[in-house]
Amino acid sequence: MPHPLLILAIAALLLCLTAILIWPRKGLLALWQNNRRLSSRVLGEDALKHIHKSELHGRRPTVESIAGALQISTNETAVLLDTLQNQQLLELRAGDIHLTPDGRDSALHIIRAHRLWERYLADETGFGAAEWHDQAEHLEHHLTPAELDALEAQLNYPTHDPHGDPIPSARGDMIGHGGKPLTALPVDQPGQIVHLEDEPSIVYAQLVAEGLHVGMPVRVTERTPERVRFWSSGNEHVLAPIVAGNVSVVPVPAEAETAVGAGYETLADIPLGSRAEVVALSPACRGAERRRFLDLGILPGTVIQAEMRSPSGDPTAYRIRGALIALRRAQAKLIKVKREST
Amino acid sequence: MSTYIPEEVDIKQNSNGTAVTETTLLQTAEALRWQIGRNFHDQLMEDIYTNAARIADRAITRAGEQPRFDLDSTIDRIVTSRRWGFPLMALLFAVVFWITIVGSNYPSQALAWLLVDTLHPLLRSGADLIGLPWWLSGLLVDGMYLATAWVVSVMLPPMAIFFPLFTLLEDFGYLPRVAFNLDNLFRKSGAHGKQALSMMMGFGCNAAGVVATRVIDSPRERLIAIVTNNFALCNGRWPTQILIATLFIGSLVPAYLAGLVSALAVVGVAMLGVLLSFVVSWGLSRTILKGEVSTFSLELPPYRPPRIWQTIYTSLIDRTLIVLWRAVTFALPAGAVIWLTANITLGDRSLAAHLINLLDPFAWLLGLNGVILLAYVVAIPANEIVIPTILMLTVLVTGATDVGSGAGVMFELEGAAVKDLFLAGGWTLLTAVNLMLFSLIHNPCSTTIYTIYKETGSKKWTLIAALLPVVMGFMVTFLVAQVWRLVSGNW
Repeated sequence: MPHPLLILAIAALLLCLTAILIWPRKGLLALWQNNRRLSSRVLGEDALKHIHKSELHGRRPTVESIAGALQISTNETAVLLDTLQNQQLLELRAGDIHLTPDGRDSALHIIRAHRLWERYLADETGFGAAEWHDQAEHLEHHLTPAELDALEAQLNYPTHDPHGDPIPSARGDMIGHGGKPLTALPVDQPGQIVHLEDEPSIVYAQLVAEGLHVGMPVRVTERTPERVRFWSSGNEHVLAPIVAGNVSVVPVPAEAETAVGAGYETLADIPLGSRAEVVALSPACRGAERRRFLDLGILPGTVIQAEMRSPSGDPTAYRIRGALIALRRAQAKLIKVKREST
Repeated sequence: MSTYIPEEVDIKQNSNGTAVTETTLLQTAEALRWQIGRNFHDQLMEDIYTNAARIADRAITRAGEQPRFDLDSTIDRIVTSRRWGFPLMALLFAVVFWITIVGSNYPSQALAWLLVDTLHPLLRSGADLIGLPWWLSGLLVDGMYLATAWVVSVMLPPMAIFFPLFTLLEDFGYLPRVAFNLDNLFRKSGAHGKQALSMMMGFGCNAAGVVATRVIDSPRERLIAIVTNNFALCNGRWPTQILIATLFIGSLVPAYLAGLVSALAVVGVAMLGVLLSFVVSWGLSRTILKGEVSTFSLELPPYRPPRIWQTIYTSLIDRTLIVLWRAVTFALPAGAVIWLTANITLGDRSLAAHLINLLDPFAWLLGLNGVILLAYVVAIPANEIVIPTILMLTVLVTGATDVGSGAGVMFELEGAAVKDLFLAGGWTLLTAVNLMLFSLIHNPCSTTIYTIYKETGSKKWTLIAALLPVVMGFMVTFLVAQVWRLVSGNW
């Protein structure tokens, strides 16, 4: 019989080979799929999307910028643009790249697919915010207009994706979010987050980690070239200006402002035995979670009493409309309340 | 959060006096759509709910609930207190398990005496009397009948005691408090506190445990509970663990410690199962299951006096009989297969002997043997018949003539005789340890697999629930075997 060490070594080798083959994103299988994905159709659609985005932001799309966005060489880009021109999806006028009406429709279809799918992932699945973009980036090339219409109807015709970008309607209409960067919001001017840029992903991951969501109220307390300090939903955040620049806000009239700082209390802050009245559900509470809260009768005006805590520290049981319901701490933090004076 | 819905929209005034047509109307609607605010649907839903709640609050007066309330809070304060919460829980479950084990001992023996020791020979002689050919009476009586009788006698009494007791606790309202107490532990592994209940039920029977996951209303956590339920050591596997631990592990220490040590070994295996279910829950919630929707809520219903007779009736019908019926429908064909593999001969040996030879090299890598692997393959319908099948196959392979009742006929023996037979079959301490591990970490029985399919309605999750544990079992036994051989220097 062979030596156990030899057997173990063979097993370890087999395990490594399997891992190399099927490891998510970096394995050979994933790389092969990725390669196949980068067909000329997909690249062409990504190029159209990039040109459309540049036009929308008033930038001039160039061969270099397209090559950079698609992560391919400039030579390959030139060939790609030539093909797109032959398909009459774009035209060159005075050395500038412009979309034809057909090209614009194509780009809008891809953008619509991307943003609708992100909406779907955010509302109807359990995937975390950091994964929406990559999945949508893949699927946007595989959805037909008819499938998009069905998806849109299923999602109740949403107007914006979870990052705050408008979703083009089937007719191609959309209106921008109209926000300005958080870095441009005057100190002490109440505002509301309308958009979080999801690219580059490392910056977006930081925004997600800070717990920021579209719809949250904000108020800037300090702005220096090094940092932006602001309050949102009861937490103080400090961001580098380059990160804060990826957050877009609109000013809110002072009388519509809701407390963001010291006066902000959530259900998680209520001591056992105390009662509090629900003011609002956080914008971070979406989809199935929000529906469940509504089903339980957690609504603005509902009075909730904290009754008892699990001996392991979490969850806490609350008396809600006569029923005893246990909620975890992370959930209770999504419910903004006003404590009842005793 | 405020939405900016225009107070009043007069679409007749939208354009410069031209008549409203379908096209202009649609265009206006499209344009207005961007003005009504992005959380229009949420806002509308919330407003409808809020209005309904306000109307209800105005119209309904609630009276007379206050006194009952107080008794409830008193019980709640005790069963969820920091000092008494966990000890009370441990005590209650210890009592439930103790009643189950002690209480099912005699009925099990009585059933085995009736169905296996008495009725089986009777049926056999009856078959001979009416002149059935040997292969038909073998297939029907020794194969199908005996397997079913075995499953019923081992399975029925503990389930008929465990399930009603469990249902009584459920009916009283105590079980949601257990989930409440333990939720923090399960939250950390990405699961739901109510998984404690389905796991507990799994100690009785994994099929019933899988059905019990219905109380978990969050899709992701429910799938986690279903896939990991198999790691709760079920009633059908306890006898295997106890037998092997007594024969091989208890005998390692002086006689006065044997009982304690073998009991500790069995409890250790069960605890390993609990640990594994946490680890696997953690892994699942972060990999293949992260896309499933997850919400948490746990209702703590008011306590009420348990309705004893109704509870016993429904738990017998809903849980015990359904599970038993499924087990029987799977045991019948399995009995036939077991008998056939032992009695169909190819060349000079039976089919079973060929299969065992085929499985032996692979089984050696896992520190097991071909007999054990074949037993796990043919006895997939119920863990209860694994040991009888192993005994029968060992006799077949070793050619022992003084024990057993012929090829394809399952049987059981007392203590020392079993060990002698196993030793003759080439068993070592490693074989015993790995059999205990493999009995914990292998695919669920076919009854459970079928139940998982019924509950999830998905081939994918059924396949994962069936394959994940058996692959893990192969890995664990493989590693243990190699390290064992390396350390002992004996291979």
